Amino acid sequence: MATLAPPVTDTGRDTPPAAPTTRRRGHRGGSKAGKPGPVTYTLLTLVALVSIFPLYWTLVAGSHTNAEIAATPPPFLPNASLFDNFQAALEQAPIGKAILNSVLVAGSITVGTVLFCTLAGFAFAKLQFRGKGVLLGLVIGTMMVPTQLAVIPLFMMIAELQWVNQLQAVILPTLVSAFGVFFMRQYLISALPNELLEAGRVDGASTFRIFWSIVVPVARPAMAVLAMLTFLTAWNEFFWPLIALTTANPTVQVALAGLGSGYVPQRSVIMAGTLLGTLPVLIVFTILGKQIVGGIMQGAVKG
Amino acid sequence: MTIASGTVREAAIAAPPPRSAAPPARPRKRRQLTRNRWGYAYVAPFFLVFAAFSLYPFMYTAWVSLHETSLSNINGGTWVGLENYRDLLQSEFFWNATRNTFTIGILATVPQLCMALGLAHLLNYKLRGRTFFRTVMLMPYATSIAAATLVFSQLFGRDYGLINTMLEAVGLQAIDWEAGTVSSQVAIAVIVTWRWTGYNALIYLAAMQSIPGELYEAAEIDGASKWKQFLHVTIPSLRPTILFTIVVSTIGAVQLFGEPLLFAGNGTTSGGSSGQYQTLGLLMYQQGWSNFHIGQAATTAWAMFMIILVIVGVNAVIGRLRARADR
Amino acid sequence: MATVSFQQASRIYPKSERPAVDSLDLEIADGEFLVLVGPSGCGKSTSLRMLAGLEEVDTGSIVIGDRDVTDSPPKERDIAMVFQNYALYPHMTVEENMGFALKLAGLSKDERATRVREAAKILDLEPYLSRRPKALSGGQRQRVAMGRAIVRNPQVFLMDEPLSNLDAKLRVQTRTQIAALQRRLGTTTVYVTHDQVEAMTMGDRVAVLKDGVLQQCDTPGVLYDRPANVFVAGFIGSPAMNLVTGDAVDGGVQVGSGMLPVPRDHLTRAAASNGKVTVGFRPETVRLVGPGEGLPVRVNVVEQLGSDAFLYTSLADAPDDVLHSADLVVRTEPRTPVAAGQQLWLGADRGALHVFDAQTQQRVD
Repeated sequence: MATLAPPVTDTGRDTPPAAPTTRRRGHRGGSKAGKPGPVTYTLLTLVALVSIFPLYWTLVAGSHTNAEIAATPPPFLPNASLFDNFQAALEQAPIGKAILNSVLVAGSITVGTVLFCTLAGFAFAKLQFRGKGVLLGLVIGTMMVPTQLAVIPLFMMIAELQWVNQLQAVILPTLVSAFGVFFMRQYLISALPNELLEAGRVDGASTFRIFWSIVVPVARPAMAVLAMLTFLTAWNEFFWPLIALTTANPTVQVALAGLGSGYVPQRSVIMAGTLLGTLPVLIVFTILGKQIVGGIMQGAVKG
Repeated sequence: MTIASGTVREAAIAAPPPRSAAPPARPRKRRQLTRNRWGYAYVAPFFLVFAAFSLYPFMYTAWVSLHETSLSNINGGTWVGLENYRDLLQSEFFWNATRNTFTIGILATVPQLCMALGLAHLLNYKLRGRTFFRTVMLMPYATSIAAATLVFSQLFGRDYGLINTMLEAVGLQAIDWEAGTVSSQVAIAVIVTWRWTGYNALIYLAAMQSIPGELYEAAEIDGASKWKQFLHVTIPSLRPTILFTIVVSTIGAVQLFGEPLLFAGNGTTSGGSSGQYQTLGLLMYQQGWSNFHIGQAATTAWAMFMIILVIVGVNAVIGRLRARADR
Repeated sequence: MATVSFQQASRIYPKSERPAVDSLDLEIADGEFLVLVGPSGCGKSTSLRMLAGLEEVDTGSIVIGDRDVTDSPPKERDIAMVFQNYALYPHMTVEENMGFALKLAGLSKDERATRVREAAKILDLEPYLSRRPKALSGGQRQRVAMGRAIVRNPQVFLMDEPLSNLDAKLRVQTRTQIAALQRRLGTTTVYVTHDQVEAMTMGDRVAVLKDGVLQQCDTPGVLYDRPANVFVAGFIGSPAMNLVTGDAVDGGVQVGSGMLPVPRDHLTRAAASNGKVTVGFRPETVRLVGPGEGLPVRVNVVEQLGSDAFLYTSLADAPDDVLHSADLVVRTEPRTPVAAGQQLWLGADRGALHVFDAQTQQRVD
């Protein structure tokens, strides 16, 4: 379990950070390896191309007819058949419904996770109570338990509750995350000086008031990062939804899994469907990409 | 007033304080000012959900693994003790899946983390379009397993797959990626590597940027070359992060499921015609949801957990030994 | 306004042998400005936090006015605190920061605004009321922290090193402003600092702590003129008092090859424990005497300050190394014709000598 502890030891547990504003990482020009040469740019461009090509290819293949992509040489530019293929994909799998479901599922999970993990992360970071160490160990320990270990009883549970094929079956079990608690704890340890809480107590605020009026505003940046990461993870969640839902009421991932299992797999239709199911995430990513990158890097140092 | 604290305390006990609020050394049962019970209220919502949907299922899975039972008759199984575990250890499917999980795991993890380290080093330069490169490299991470596997199974297709077309274009033989053991495992490892390299590169980059610049300046003044600096400053500073990513990646590798399930495109649970790329995660799904042997599936799940425990344990020991060696 | 009293108050951290604050007895008068001073780890901040209700009192008690507050949470103590890092709420404007406690106390919006404006006027913060702390300079933040305390009109102000984050020049300026403000408001104030100059210039009385134990509590003048023990003698004053230890001989104290004349009655009392005596004399009381008298010293560094000069010297018998290079400091007239390496003889006025028992470290006169 010790290995799952943060790679960078948490600062501020013993010595509170100097001032609320100093937690931001300062400019570290010295650590940069200097000016990059053309080789660096070439290599990076290559990696960028490899990263983006499969997604681009989805667009290319999804916008041609089956016969056109099978041609030699294969086409490398998008074509006109995209909307025909979209239509065919929508007929084969309820992708529209799936997108709506996924928005509902990922949205609920995000709200729940951020709320519960901020509460628990604050308690683990700043409050003293008996059994705190054991409980935190439990949280961190379960980060390495495979999902497979939970699905059988979960499936029995939702069968009992007649929740099979219902969205709550995929929302409820994922409503909290051990990673989220740990992430919020690490953030609050370094970003929330004890003095701020003490100032609140001296000012006469109750514990709960301190949480809403002081902790939550300070935690907001981390909550935003956790929200983005949770939404992404929940949107892409595959294993449990595949078990709990069917293609009659699927999330995007379940619908995509069903797309490929037709008797005569139509490559261009599958690709068009994949594009359709991935598009919402790609749009979100295009808008918030910078923040998500920042969040992951921040999480790496803090958690 | 004396200086030695011992004398003061003795004096204090001997002579009671002028205004006797309380005897000095009374055992206090007073309201605690800094410790409180509020902590429980804050962690309660988390632990309620956590206990119901994580802790309880983990335990129950252990119980189920000791029964002969099926999906249709979940609670009516018969107690068979450790028989499921004995069967599992004698099952060639289990050993096949374990072997595949390990080979795919190594194929997917080792090159991935090495490339991520190199990539992080490149990203650490003062780049133009820094944000662009970082964001683009994280795109695969945002792509779901299902979508990525569907696309790659097209690219790796035998007849019209783009990769084979390329191979033929340069005069090589086309490969039936899905049919071969090595080729299918390489292909699956490529999908995993594609999705995770950028993410791990960002983790390493973050760790690299938190190395104080003075360390490099000191090394520079001591006459260390760039390569020596990378070897003797960067890598040692990154060691905890590297260990962390190794653990996280191997935990992910042991659970590999979606990629082999969808690689053939039709969602079969056998992992190829001869199980050439069946993994433990896929086997567990097959046992439970194709063959309806819930007890067996539970056993496999526990075996996966054991493997993870061993891997994490070994890493923890290595990490501790290294830390001790450093001291 | 109220008096404050610590009665045998101790704080023992769990898993710690030595108390962080050891049986502290301290009476603070109504309206007094009391400074707690000492080196880091001496328990001064812990004492303040015990008074604030942020730290447990393990034994003993604390009384504010006529109320025993030992077990009360901070909000029931009617105190306001200024933190070292100011602890301003980063997401609130200056006005909201200052009004937060009033809001929690249930004051109406108008009343809050009036009181915040009043305080802002005193502290020259009116133009900044709608700004966030991030957009303020260090000095302004410090004033907001002060403002947050004074709007509440509490019984006691607690200040925990409020100047330590300011640059040297601003620190001197703000020092006088805080002292003036306290006198104007007349609120009982407990002020913690590690800087003895701050303590001496601001406090009505100064309490010196070391290792959790109160060493002496008195007015700055008494602390300077009659330090109760060797620690206080060495801590108060800059440059520090010269302290030498030697054997009691007839007529004085033998230090190496030199001798300092000490009055007989002091000498006998100081030597009562083990025959060793510690003698202290401040740099400004040193006289240069003729060869063969007093203490022979070697001059290591001469510091010319314009208004006066400091000679950093070591006893002639001491090893010639960096460690001993400033054992004895002498303040002289500026442009004294003394050069490094020169040998001098130091004497001190009898009346300016501080004599301590070398074993108990206590003052004997």
